[in-house]
Amino acid sequence: MRKSHPVRRVVLATAATVSGVVLLLSLKPSSDPASAAAGGAVSPPPVAQESAQGGAQVAGTGTVTGDVAQTQYGAVQVRLTVAGGKITKAEAVQAPKGGTSDQKTALSVPKLNQEAVAAQSADIDAVSGATYTSDGYKKSLQSALDKVKAASSQGQGASQGAGAGNAQAAKTVTGAVAQTQYGPVQVRITVAGGKITKAEAVQAPKGGTSDQKTALSVPKLNQEAVAAGSADIDTVSGATYTSDGYKKSLQSALDQAGG
Amino acid sequence: MTTTLAGGRAARRQTMRRIRPRRSPATILLIAVWAGAAGVLWLWWANTPSISDNNGKILNAGRITGLLAGYLMALVVLQMARVPALERRVGSDRVARWHAMSGRYTLCLVLAHVFLIMWGYALQAGKGLGDIVQQTIDSINQLPDMGKAAIGTGLLFLIGLMSIGGVRRRIPYDTWYHVHLLTYAAVFLTFWHQLTTGNDFAVEPVAKTVWYGLYGSVTALVIWYRILTPIRLNLRHRMRVEAVIEETPGIVSVLIGGRKLHRMGAEAGQFFRWRFLAPGMRFSSHPYSLSAAPRPDMLRITVKAIGDHSERLRELRPGTKVWAEGPYGALTASRRSRGKVLLVAGGVGITPMRALFETLPGAAGDITLLYRANSTQDLALWDELATIADERGARLMYAVNSPDGARPDISAERLQQKLPDIDKHDVFMCGPAGFAQSVYEALRGAGVPARRIHHESFEM
Repeated sequence: MRKSHPVRRVVLATAATVSGVVLLLSLKPSSDPASAAAGGAVSPPPVAQESAQGGAQVAGTGTVTGDVAQTQYGAVQVRLTVAGGKITKAEAVQAPKGGTSDQKTALSVPKLNQEAVAAQSADIDAVSGATYTSDGYKKSLQSALDKVKAASSQGQGASQGAGAGNAQAAKTVTGAVAQTQYGPVQVRITVAGGKITKAEAVQAPKGGTSDQKTALSVPKLNQEAVAAGSADIDTVSGATYTSDGYKKSLQSALDQAGG
Repeated sequence: MTTTLAGGRAARRQTMRRIRPRRSPATILLIAVWAGAAGVLWLWWANTPSISDNNGKILNAGRITGLLAGYLMALVVLQMARVPALERRVGSDRVARWHAMSGRYTLCLVLAHVFLIMWGYALQAGKGLGDIVQQTIDSINQLPDMGKAAIGTGLLFLIGLMSIGGVRRRIPYDTWYHVHLLTYAAVFLTFWHQLTTGNDFAVEPVAKTVWYGLYGSVTALVIWYRILTPIRLNLRHRMRVEAVIEETPGIVSVLIGGRKLHRMGAEAGQFFRWRFLAPGMRFSSHPYSLSAAPRPDMLRITVKAIGDHSERLRELRPGTKVWAEGPYGALTASRRSRGKVLLVAGGVGITPMRALFETLPGAAGDITLLYRANSTQDLALWDELATIADERGARLMYAVNSPDGARPDISAERLQQKLPDIDKHDVFMCGPAGFAQSVYEALRGAGVPARRIHHESFEM
């Protein structure tokens, strides 16, 4: 029942929509203008978008999107699906549109996709009658392949241990469960640059007096483990069984991290 | 009647126990709509790695507007699917206003989408803004499903044109209504190009599935609530006209009989969309409020003869079959949050108020009805109202023009004078827009909070 102002509403809606669209468009990165000047040469891979996921993706299945290659008739951009180091799928995310370009795109892109998967490289034949599209496709494909290579060489440095997310990042290793008289003990360590940076007990004895003993001993054991960098640590007095279990699990974690 | 307790605190407590105001789900629904819009924008964001130049900016602006238009189109149809949560909890009037508002906005988005995309394509093909018409023709000829989309878009603009205030008033309601039904065809025709040429759907199977899900569920709701539910209702209740009674000059009541009418779950204050299967009337359906609490064997509507359709109502013969859809409307007792209630009726707006006056639970002195009409002769249903007021100890007041034609004084001061505790009341109101607006302002001036003024208006 509030008084409505139709004109104000129209102005508000228009202003909000236009500024929203303009904002969205301006937030998107534009591809490097230098590359366009150099005749559509492929620009170096953008840092922010792919590299963060790159290491993890290439080891398993992942998609890599090549750079946009500008052609006379519009942009071409290729996306690859890579599994086990091989291209399993190639597709064009962007291709020339409008006018006769649609027909040409419809003709050439499926062929180019097939060729890319068959050749496993950017060394593919141009589709006759769609030279510009083919050229753009090859350029974008090459940039995608470069990214795959860069990511996998990065990935080689990384340990392949369970839970390893990224080459440069620290990794966590969880030791085997050590059974003690009062309950299981299990240690998880974080290793970076060959050193233990953090140790923690995922499991420790619980219930009755065990709670107290665990509260007393585990923080000390964690500190000792980081300080010593090995499983050769002192037993906490009054918590012998827990300490023994801790050391066993810690040793198993170190074995895993080392191997 | 409903209570044998005398007025007073005990009685009020008794009434309050039955008052549990139901919150309208409007806020939750609006949040869901915004979240969906954000999801659609995210889809664009995730599928657009970079925008290289101005041409790309134009094309992507076209994609954003297209995606939003496609999303809103589904919601615009959903708003008219007669979903009970919308019709009975949010209120048919409010949903109809949403529909009109979002419909206009969607049409603007469609226009922007067509223009931007065709401009972008023209630039890509090395042509300028001047070749946009040729580019549009080329794209319709060459791209998949674009022919359908073009026809659908044309229909949408025809429908939009006919819904502009000035145009709509000049064409008969039935014509407007039946053209408006073409929206379904238009939405169907424009749907396919979204999937086949839409950048974000052609490559993303998940997005495609979500889009099918959105349009599929809206279709299912429309079929269920606009087609199957009314068929079931009318097969079960078999309504017929029992009698037509002239209440005052120009106002008639239609009594409608049927089977197990109480099972329809209609409440006082609600309305049905009525279609009388008599010559010349069977193709139009009109909303009329129940003017009495529904009885197991009888419903009653009271209508002022202002249009073609309502004029013909007085010629209805007993036995005429009736096709009804409903009940709709949220102006019911469940809106109430206080023990005391003021009902305000303007002219034929008395119909839902009359039903509420009879059925709202309350002790003596809790319910007051203020009835505004041009003259005492125009006070339709007055005898009934007096009887109800007598039986349940409710207050009944009327305000009519003085013999010299001056309007009665319904101001904040006057209302406070008549009802000193008016700020403790819930107010239900029904009447013409101008009347409702002035009463609303008077009520606010008298200290009634906006959330306790319940009003239904079908003015757009």
